[in-house]
Amino acid sequence: MILSLLCRILRRVSARQISTARPAAAATRRAGGLRRSPAPRPGLVRAGLIVAGLGLGATTALGITAETSGQLTAAGGVVTFAGNLTGLIGTYLALIMVLLVSRIPFLERVAGQDGLLRWHRRLAPWPISLLVLHAILLTAGYAQATRTGLWHQVGTLILSYPDILSATVGLGLMCMAAVISIRAIRRRVRREVWWTVHLYLYLALAFSFAHVIVLGPSFVGHPLTQVVWSAAWAATAGLVLAYRVGLPVYRTLRHQLRVTEVRPEAPGVVSVICQGRHVDQLPVSGGQFLFWRFLTRDMWWQAHPYSLSALPQPPYVRLTVKAVGDHSAALARLQPGTRVAVEGPYGTFTRYAQQRRRVVLIAAGIGVTAVRSLLEDLPRGTKPVVILRAARTEDLALRGEIADLVQRRGGRLHELTGSRAQATIDERSLPRIVPDLSDRDVYVCGPEAFVAGIVDVARCLGVPDEAIHHEAFAL
Amino acid sequence: MKRAPLLVLAGTAAGFVGVLTFHTRPVSATTPGQAQPSAMPSASSAATSSAAAGPAAAGPTRAAAGSTLVRSAAGQIVQFGYGELNVRVTVNGSHITAVSVTDLQTAEPTSQQISEQAIPMLRSEVLSAQSANVNGISGATFTSRAYVQSLQAALDKLNVK
Repeated sequence: MILSLLCRILRRVSARQISTARPAAAATRRAGGLRRSPAPRPGLVRAGLIVAGLGLGATTALGITAETSGQLTAAGGVVTFAGNLTGLIGTYLALIMVLLVSRIPFLERVAGQDGLLRWHRRLAPWPISLLVLHAILLTAGYAQATRTGLWHQVGTLILSYPDILSATVGLGLMCMAAVISIRAIRRRVRREVWWTVHLYLYLALAFSFAHVIVLGPSFVGHPLTQVVWSAAWAATAGLVLAYRVGLPVYRTLRHQLRVTEVRPEAPGVVSVICQGRHVDQLPVSGGQFLFWRFLTRDMWWQAHPYSLSALPQPPYVRLTVKAVGDHSAALARLQPGTRVAVEGPYGTFTRYAQQRRRVVLIAAGIGVTAVRSLLEDLPRGTKPVVILRAARTEDLALRGEIADLVQRRGGRLHELTGSRAQATIDERSLPRIVPDLSDRDVYVCGPEAFVAGIVDVARCLGVPDEAIHHEAFAL
Repeated sequence: MKRAPLLVLAGTAAGFVGVLTFHTRPVSATTPGQAQPSAMPSASSAATSSAAAGPAAAGPTRAAAGSTLVRSAAGQIVQFGYGELNVRVTVNGSHITAVSVTDLQTAEPTSQQISEQAIPMLRSEVLSAQSANVNGISGATFTSRAYVQSLQAALDKLNVK
């Protein structure tokens, strides 16, 4: 409950630690004066998990202490109690879900955006079903207590209870988002529609906030819980505004990125080079991605995630994109001078994930972009083995740059071309290319199926999960 | 983050126990009159206490009959979250002879209904217990609490223990 507040305090403390501790500060700077994204701090996330648990326990207990044994034995008492409890826990879990996608930097750096989204999706069925149950149980409980019919009670609740109407609208909006997120339906809906419906969830939560405070037995006449609950929600709203809106707007305005050149790299693959101000101050690590919004008439409303294909070279940043969808195909037609809004960088596919001294980097298709910038960011002496896979040699984008970087780091480059059957990476071929595989970190980037296959192979060959790092993109 | 579920569970247990063991004082609604409870049962104090409590909470009054033993007083308006109420009590000596709710207002009909159902039961409980020390009505905890508080204030005014 007080999660967000504590997170803030913790982060402030950690920020101070970084600024006072010399080695940590040095680590966020590269030799070239570029700013690196701060190191992940798993300790903070562990603390956050404990606080999230504390909140859940406190919320549950709050629902229980608000009840007396007398109330339970009264008509509709048990049902009403269950209704209040499911409402409290459901709302608390909704708060956690918002926090999981609020782009809190310290969470992003440890769990990664895909990890956080996975948790968000895994958690999602709970708050929605608990809140629906809450509405049903309380209506039934009140109907029992007043000895009226269920439907009559629905009317009474909505029409004469304060803030119940808006809470009902909120619940409706939540159900809408829940339905559209069901996998079978989600696949048939445009991303933008899904996103907009999701946006309404903030409205839904705002709508349902008041009835909790005004009617909830744990809050009526309890100023302390009222204040703590309100503060938790206000802090969460603040975090969402700060990190989903404020920070991207700030970075966009500060760096003033504009397209300077669109350069073909391979068939269907283009590099977009943007020029901006203070690019050396963008805290980015090799292998990370940003959400790019190209402010043209027909693209401004879409933000898509693309990896940087090189570390920033002030005043330039570069992303490399393969034409696989409408958006990425349209990038080839970008005019120089187009303004660019950015959000990020995000991603845990960085040198911070590295557990061992040496690494093997595996990329398929356009996954090469993340590997290319990661390679540039790896410390010297990592002797990287880089494996690139593509259908044809001419499809290997950026291969010249990669060969150069690999050579300078004393590593080896393997190019696998051919059909999937011919150039497969499996339990037999991988050890031949990388004999000391089990002593290396495995970084793999490519389409989802490819990444999943390599992860399986690496596990099979004895690479522990902590040493396997992957970034997948959906086609 | 393999230990993530463990950490969350530990936190949940701690938070749960923490709140359960955290004791708050019971809700006390305040009305202007509460700050100045009348200590004396005499008629002279009645004027001051009723003045302090405002028009809603009338002070103790003597019964018209020659007996000085029958007195009555209203407690104070107590807000109980879903509404507010005030209780008037009549005593003969220290024997509670009548209790009534002089003022009941709630935010919405269900609470009104619940309170109205509970009030007669509270009345009979008070009359049989002969004090404000009653269990309260299940399903109407807030109403009961407010009722008892207002009743106690009225009894205090009459100096009935």
